[in-house]
Amino acid sequence: MRAMATAATGMMAQQTNVDVIANNIANANTTGFKSMRAAFQDLVYQSQVREGALTNEAGTARPVGVDIGMGVQTAGVIRLNTQGGLTATENQLDVAIDGKGFFVVNMPDGSTAYTRDGNFQMSAEGTLVTKQGYEIDPGITIPDNSTSVAISEQGIVSAYVGSSATPVELGQLSMATFINEAGMKAEGDNLLRETTASGEAVAANPGDEGVGVLRQGYLENSNVNIIQQITDLITAQRAYEMNSKAIQTADEMLSSANQVR
Amino acid sequence: MDNSSYISLTLASSLERSLDITANNLANVNTAGFKGEKTLFESYLLRPSEIGKDDVFFSLDSGSYMDPAQGALLATGNPLDAAVLGEGWFGYQTPDGRTGLGRNGQFVLDADGMLVTAGGAQVLDAGGAPIQVPEDQGAVTIGSDGTISNAAGEAVATIGVFEAPDIQSYARLPGGMFTPADGSAPPLQPVQAPRLAQGHLEQSNVEPVIEMTRMMGIQRAYERAMTLLDDENSLRRDTLQRLGPTG
Repeated sequence: MRAMATAATGMMAQQTNVDVIANNIANANTTGFKSMRAAFQDLVYQSQVREGALTNEAGTARPVGVDIGMGVQTAGVIRLNTQGGLTATENQLDVAIDGKGFFVVNMPDGSTAYTRDGNFQMSAEGTLVTKQGYEIDPGITIPDNSTSVAISEQGIVSAYVGSSATPVELGQLSMATFINEAGMKAEGDNLLRETTASGEAVAANPGDEGVGVLRQGYLENSNVNIIQQITDLITAQRAYEMNSKAIQTADEMLSSANQVR
Repeated sequence: MDNSSYISLTLASSLERSLDITANNLANVNTAGFKGEKTLFESYLLRPSEIGKDDVFFSLDSGSYMDPAQGALLATGNPLDAAVLGEGWFGYQTPDGRTGLGRNGQFVLDADGMLVTAGGAQVLDAGGAPIQVPEDQGAVTIGSDGTISNAAGEAVATIGVFEAPDIQSYARLPGGMFTPADGSAPPLQPVQAPRLAQGHLEQSNVEPVIEMTRMMGIQRAYERAMTLLDDENSLRRDTLQRLGPTG
């Protein structure tokens, strides 16, 4: 009987589903986190009787066949790239992206990562860095005697140095867009990487056409919809139980077959 | 040998296949756009009445068919999710070049900007060509007639929604697709006035309660078949025991 193996694929798929949902719920308060959803697709079918098989010599054919499916598999986990809500933090180094695009992060090993997390810090040298201390491209250094920092919608960072009444322009934050944001690889620490699926990073400036603008003093919340996650979790659990019932039924049927002697 | 054992056997093997189909439906209870499969039973008549006996009916699962009912809509908020309301099927081209029809509207863009399913099948436009969304279009929206427009409101492409009156005769492909059983490409005849819902997914149309009840029915029917087989076996054994030691 195939039913056991088929139901087992169903249980494995629901496990993946619960894993994805649990991660979403765990990151409901993570800045810039994007909700994920497991996408499932059915597996191959075995035709026991083919559609269109001839039923007699006169050429009449079966309108339907017997197609038996082999279960389900996870086709992918899709990242939902919608805008998260913005929260005012009053922190002058907090920047939220309002629209499409990512901040560019220069990793210590020379590679490049991307993030939506605009919760920036200053390094010991005054450089804008992520919470892990990785430099935000293009490596803007804020003078140590500056009184306040302003970041414009176009990402131009300027600082009021000392008692000067006019700000000094320090540089412009760079951004990148991807044709397939859902194809980027998440690697933890709110960082995402370019992959062959995401396509190459397209360098951009904040406020360019099709690219988001920056909001200083705001952070982007995660876009996880908790109520939806909880209902998805309930659905996943029930689906898991149903598949285990299918295994149980197949088992009991085999058991009743075994009792015939 | 008597027919009754064979009748039990035909019933049992049909029921096993029926359980396989039910298990597949249950495994796909969370698969977007999945259409459940149902089994047809028919009796297979052996007519030995010419030789003075009664007719015997065997059980045969002659076919299974796809349940075309609309699945429930789930609001996901993902701009690239689309659900067909009412009649019509999306067209897909699988990576190995086959054309199929299906209802799965869980789309993503790949590295080249092609609109694809999570399984990698390209989505076809109304003319049957794959859909490409050029770079730098900003956030795209899908209109209720399938038009994909960019952030500036200009139409980029149109998602095809096709008619398939004879879809019951199609074979199933993985990924919730249907394609003609003879391997040819389905005729891509666009629906007159398609209606799509953006940000929604059509869920599997498998009704868990019905499948669970059916599963119980299958199990009990299987037990009945086995009991019949057992009874027939005991009957024969008893007969042999009583009539065996002759002479």
